[in-house]
Amino acid sequence: MNATSNPFHFKVGLFAAGTLLLVGVFLVYLLHARGVFEPTYRLNLAATSADGVAPGVPLVFSGIEIGSVASLGLNDDGGIVIRIELLQRNAKWLRQTSSFTLDKPLVGGAKIRVDSPDLKAEPLPDGSTMLLVTSDVSKEIPALVERVKAILANVEHLTRQDGEINATLANVKTVTDRMTGDYGVLEGILGSPEKARAVTDSLEKTRALVAKLDSLALRMDGMAAKTDSWLFDPNGVAEHTRESLVQVRHMLDDAQSSLKKADALMANAVDISANVKDGTQDIAKLRAEIDDAVRKANALVNEINKKWPFARDPEVKLP
Amino acid sequence: MRFLEASIESLGAKITGWFAVGYGTFAFLGRALLLLLDRTTWNRATFDVVVKQVYFTAVQILHVFLGYALIISWLIVTIILSTAREFGLTEFAMEMTIRVLVLELLPFLTALFVALRSGSAINTEIALMRVNNELDALAHCKVPPMQFEFLPRLIGGVVSVVALASLAGLLALLLAYLSIYGLSMAGFEAFTRTVARIFDFRIVAGLAVKCALFGLAVTLIPVTAGLETPKKLFMVPVSVLRGMMRVFFAIVAIEVLSLALKYI
Repeated sequence: MNATSNPFHFKVGLFAAGTLLLVGVFLVYLLHARGVFEPTYRLNLAATSADGVAPGVPLVFSGIEIGSVASLGLNDDGGIVIRIELLQRNAKWLRQTSSFTLDKPLVGGAKIRVDSPDLKAEPLPDGSTMLLVTSDVSKEIPALVERVKAILANVEHLTRQDGEINATLANVKTVTDRMTGDYGVLEGILGSPEKARAVTDSLEKTRALVAKLDSLALRMDGMAAKTDSWLFDPNGVAEHTRESLVQVRHMLDDAQSSLKKADALMANAVDISANVKDGTQDIAKLRAEIDDAVRKANALVNEINKKWPFARDPEVKLP
Repeated sequence: MRFLEASIESLGAKITGWFAVGYGTFAFLGRALLLLLDRTTWNRATFDVVVKQVYFTAVQILHVFLGYALIISWLIVTIILSTAREFGLTEFAMEMTIRVLVLELLPFLTALFVALRSGSAINTEIALMRVNNELDALAHCKVPPMQFEFLPRLIGGVVSVVALASLAGLLALLLAYLSIYGLSMAGFEAFTRTVARIFDFRIVAGLAVKCALFGLAVTLIPVTAGLETPKKLFMVPVSVLRGMMRVFFAIVAIEVLSLALKYI
């Protein structure tokens, strides 16, 4: 028999080649997936207890398995050494600052969690040893149960037959009963319909009072207008005051000129007495005092000028 | 008392029968394997018969088989995925799919498929050849039936079941990936991790051995059942019936054994 007499050869050959190719590709992919083509990265974890750790326990980073426990044993000092193997491509998630935690959830298997807060930190070299911290939920449960028991006892005490909560609820019932009365919430707060009525009555009175105050305010407005005209009319009080003040100013000016004359007199007196050797000191003192008085009078006049500037400007400005 | 005696006797006869069948089957397998070691077996004529067997067992039904595998896989993947989503276990959906479909269901269904189509045909053919004295005639013409009729069928069966189960498994993997992650490479890394976790050496070797055993069961048992047929034409359907029952039991036994070895 040769190939031409056997028409199946081509089809069977195609089938065999296709299947072998696909299976071969899958096997290569499988070897790649299992990391046969890349070096294995080893990590040692030191722990105080190997409880819950067994070969195959996954090493998890952000919820994704990146490696697993290969073996575990004791070192010479009796400490636990857990050897973890992972692929080189996954080793980049392990940093010098990484922390390793053994998680033992209530449901599901134990796993070792890696937390790398800083992925820019120095990478962890192959074969290094890190510390494994244990966070065991099941160990916290007894403590939790004790606390819950205490809380439940308190709740029981509070809700007993003659307890505070019952009394409070009875009071609340009384108040809410009153609230359903004619005066609603007001009655609930004040305790009886009579007191509530008194409050509403006084509110009514207040309203009447406010109305009266309104009318009073209107009248006050009228009075204020009248006072305005009384003060600032051309023949009003303000005009008279202005005139009186002008007179005061004149009087002060007169006082100033008289004082200037006295000053000149005193200067002459000093000249005369210059020849006289004795008694000069007394006169000098007198002169200083008079100077002082004159200065004060000047200051007074200036002050009045500042405060009553309308003497130079006869127009009165109303506020 | 007579009844008890009779039932014990019939039980003994049955057990002896099973042993005889089992012994006959394994003895036949031993002879076939020994023949395989013989250099003279490896000739062009035997190879041509093997090619013919592979063609009829696997290539001819390939499109039907792949369509059927596609539908089954799609259904199972969808069911697993929706159930996993409902219970919040989506992360296990891929692993579940691979374990259920690729490792167990598809090889089993492939074996059944090949048994029903080729196994029954082989059984009938051998039984008819025996009834019609063709086997004796072949032996008389110095054409040993073991080398040119039986051994090629066994090899063809093994090759076909292994190849078909592999193709169906790869198709199911592809379908599972597409169902879970869609047409994107986003899930490829997670998929690779899951595949790496499941397919360790033991599992792959176990899968290959299981498929080979399936292939052997669906051809070896029909051949031996056909050879046992008494030389009467009306015994041919009985022979096929017995052979197919044995094939079914053998397939289930292999599956149960593989599951037990894997998970217990």
